[in-house]
Amino acid sequence: MTDFLQLTAAGLSQGSVYALLAVGLIATYTVRHVVNIAQGDYAMLAGLGSISLVSAGVPLPVAILIALVTVTLASVLIERLVIARVKDLTTLVSIILTLGVSTLLQAIMLLVWGAEARRLPAFPGEDLLIGGVSIRSQELWMLGTLVVVGGGILLFYEKTRWGKALRASAEQPVAARIVGISPAAASVIAFAIAGFAGAAAGVVSSPIYLSIWSGGLLLGLKGFVAAVLGGLVSFRAAIVGALLLGMLESYVAGYVASGWKDAVAFFILIIVLIIRPAGLVLRPNAVRV
Amino acid sequence: MTLLEKTPGAVRSKTGFWPNNRSTIIGVAILAVIVIIVPFTATSSMMNIAVFSMIFALPAIGLSLLMGLAGQVSLGQAAFFAIGAYTHAILLQKFEVPGILAAVCGVLAAMLAALLVGLPMLRLRGHYLALATLGLGFIVMIAVREWEFTGRTTGIYGFGRPEVFGIPIDNNGLFFWFVAPFVIVGLVLALNLTRSRAGRALSAVNDSELAAESLGVNTYALRVKVFTLSAGFAGLGGVFYAYQVQIVSPQVAEFHVSVELLLMVVIGGLGSVWGAIAGAFIVELLSEGLRDLIPAIIPGATGEVQLIGYGIVLILVILLLPGGLYQAVRTVWAAIRRRSASRRVAAAAKVPDGTADAGTGDAPTRAFGGVPGEPAGPPAVADDEPIPSVPAISTPLAAGETILEVRGLTKRYGGVVAVDDVSFTVPAGRIMGLIGPNGAGKTTCFNMITGAIPPTSGTVSFLGEEVQGRKPHVGAVRGLTRTFQNLQVFTSTDVVGNVYMGRYRKGRAGIIRGMLGLQGREQYRNEEIAHDILDAMRLGDVAGLAAGDLPFGRQRMMEVCRALASEPALLLLDEPMAGLSGRERDMLANLLRALRDAGLTIVLVEHDVAQVLSLADSVAVLDDGVLIAHGDPESVRNDPAVIVAYLGTDAEEAKHELEELEEHA
Repeated sequence: MTDFLQLTAAGLSQGSVYALLAVGLIATYTVRHVVNIAQGDYAMLAGLGSISLVSAGVPLPVAILIALVTVTLASVLIERLVIARVKDLTTLVSIILTLGVSTLLQAIMLLVWGAEARRLPAFPGEDLLIGGVSIRSQELWMLGTLVVVGGGILLFYEKTRWGKALRASAEQPVAARIVGISPAAASVIAFAIAGFAGAAAGVVSSPIYLSIWSGGLLLGLKGFVAAVLGGLVSFRAAIVGALLLGMLESYVAGYVASGWKDAVAFFILIIVLIIRPAGLVLRPNAVRV
Repeated sequence: MTLLEKTPGAVRSKTGFWPNNRSTIIGVAILAVIVIIVPFTATSSMMNIAVFSMIFALPAIGLSLLMGLAGQVSLGQAAFFAIGAYTHAILLQKFEVPGILAAVCGVLAAMLAALLVGLPMLRLRGHYLALATLGLGFIVMIAVREWEFTGRTTGIYGFGRPEVFGIPIDNNGLFFWFVAPFVIVGLVLALNLTRSRAGRALSAVNDSELAAESLGVNTYALRVKVFTLSAGFAGLGGVFYAYQVQIVSPQVAEFHVSVELLLMVVIGGLGSVWGAIAGAFIVELLSEGLRDLIPAIIPGATGEVQLIGYGIVLILVILLLPGGLYQAVRTVWAAIRRRSASRRVAAAAKVPDGTADAGTGDAPTRAFGGVPGEPAGPPAVADDEPIPSVPAISTPLAAGETILEVRGLTKRYGGVVAVDDVSFTVPAGRIMGLIGPNGAGKTTCFNMITGAIPPTSGTVSFLGEEVQGRKPHVGAVRGLTRTFQNLQVFTSTDVVGNVYMGRYRKGRAGIIRGMLGLQGREQYRNEEIAHDILDAMRLGDVAGLAAGDLPFGRQRMMEVCRALASEPALLLLDEPMAGLSGRERDMLANLLRALRDAGLTIVLVEHDVAQVLSLADSVAVLDDGVLIAHGDPESVRNDPAVIVAYLGTDAEEAKHELEELEEHA
């Protein structure tokens, strides 16, 4: 039982990282209908960047702040320089383009930071021991970041006028313009949110799960699996899906074999798409041909 | 018989083996010469690049077919490549299976994996196949790494080299000659496929899925087949890879291999088979160059440093040259032809030009089942004689028998009832008009009958078979086809290409026959028929134009031609008169009468009430989703409910307006 709870705690903290990435993916998908394959690379970029800053003597909070801002700006830059340049952004083209961006980011990280995985120092705090289950303070930081950043983005989209207009701009560009938000601005904001969410996931997970140039793709894909559980539109369902995915992975790693852990997400993806392609919350058939 | 003469000046595509295959034959001949020469001239490092570009050209061709034809992308092409390589290597090393059998198994294993992934994923639109194949790539890599049977991280090694007629293929030159014939055969098969019935249907699907399905194209089945085929190409590439490298390890399934393959296709041009081969060579060259260059610039750089080039090239090609090399070559070639053509015209200015489009001289097929007693003059005279000849139609039922029966058809969108419990029957060989004010649910009815949307409840029986809720192609293959209120033109082909697609239902050739090029006769015949229909409908002069360039009214007529080309039993026309000139309307009305007399059943949604009342044998009236009247035009015209609901609240005033309308007609 203690094992089970221990694995659950680890799974939840890992799941919170997937949840942040899923939130970023949905942010761009609802506005631009782009599944950003580079989403996970934002996390790695922020992780590696803050590690370099810390080792250069910058205090941890400052380093994290700089990394968050830089990656957010990088995401906006990618939107302006690459995504916005294409007039007819078909699904095929958007996949190839964001794959190109992802490959480029990975290659830059490889050349700058090398092939080795690196670790950010743990955030301050005391580890907890509750009934034989030890919870590292970093894991609480991860869950806390999800609550603050993920919850904040969710509230922004669902409660504020701007957030609602942002969602509307995907479906009704003209109506959104009347409310006072241009499609270009909506796209920039969406990519900024995606960049920020990805960066937050990257810095907060780095002390436990490390940062490495090639890690973003797998991470982003797991975020995508969680996003699919939310039908690519529901933040709430995606966050719940991400936490479940993290737990399931943790159980597989604990009870089966750690090597198979990464395969879990894709079996879930395929099973969900066969059974409920519209995600957990929407009525089925919405995305059927 | 009716019009069979070609309209003067009509541009006919040349038919016959040589003109249709000339560019392929020349291209393959050049490639074959290059393949023979290369091993004698290339340096050893160049030879290495050449061998790997041949090996990777196979999965690249497969991916190119998938992207060009199915409009889908696989980010896990390396997974199928790896499945082929592992299956081959394991069978050779552990079971000592003969090489050919092991290779066949390798290809089949890759195809089976694709089938399992494609069956559920290709039902969904959008990003799902791409991300599911990406997931598959990870699963394959994890599986081979974790599994004892596949040799974990070390992989499978220690199997023999291939032998051909007792000659061991043990150097790069021989291996190049060993793999090249397979690439050339694969290339020819893929080229044939893109031009085949199935290939053209899939390009049509990429233009308008709804229109293609309404002509009988089973999009899903074709996409699954193309995806499976594309994995087969990847599997074959994997087989050769195993032979060449002599060890198959998890690296072969790594994601950057999939990126590499995707890059080959993007550089070559999406959907261009030749481009895939050129792309394979360029990417191998690029990879080799970058591996040397990057560590020289950035000391200490190790690992997959070539990825930086891949990322940059991927983005730049999509942004600056979305059609890749194929587009570039075509643009240059077109410019050269224009220049030489204008020079030729200048030189031949004094020579009378009479043989420009002599065509092939073969007799036109007798595509039209003429209607006895149908007056039809030669086309030159027919310009002021607006009764066109009648294309063949299928008449599965005698006139008067029920061909379409709609029972309790209902469509709800949340709380809104768009169509409410509508029932009617359509007898064969009659024209039925479906009228009603805007938003009455006419097009929604049409969409449910043709399968474009599923009804909430109710049944649609066509020729005695229930088709409601099935996809449009189900009804279409049985002879139910339609036109669209908002035009659904296949913009990537010309006018005759659009009408040719109407012949899809009458064709038989599948993917395999298409790949083997064994459908030429069927295709030429259907192209001739398409030309004949266009000639008869006065569109022969624009047959060679891009369909999107036609004026609106002629696009509408082209859609009617396309629907007629399928020799339907039941034709549903959604506002066919909208946007037509008065003369075109009269011509269409005459055509519809002639078609009805020949046995075709027609259901017509139309705003031009006068036209409908004069044309139709029976008229159904929808108002606010409810069928308020159904009967012969005379009784509907005088039905008080119709007058009140359709034309106004005051019955007297409405009647007056109706009379006025009639006078106009």
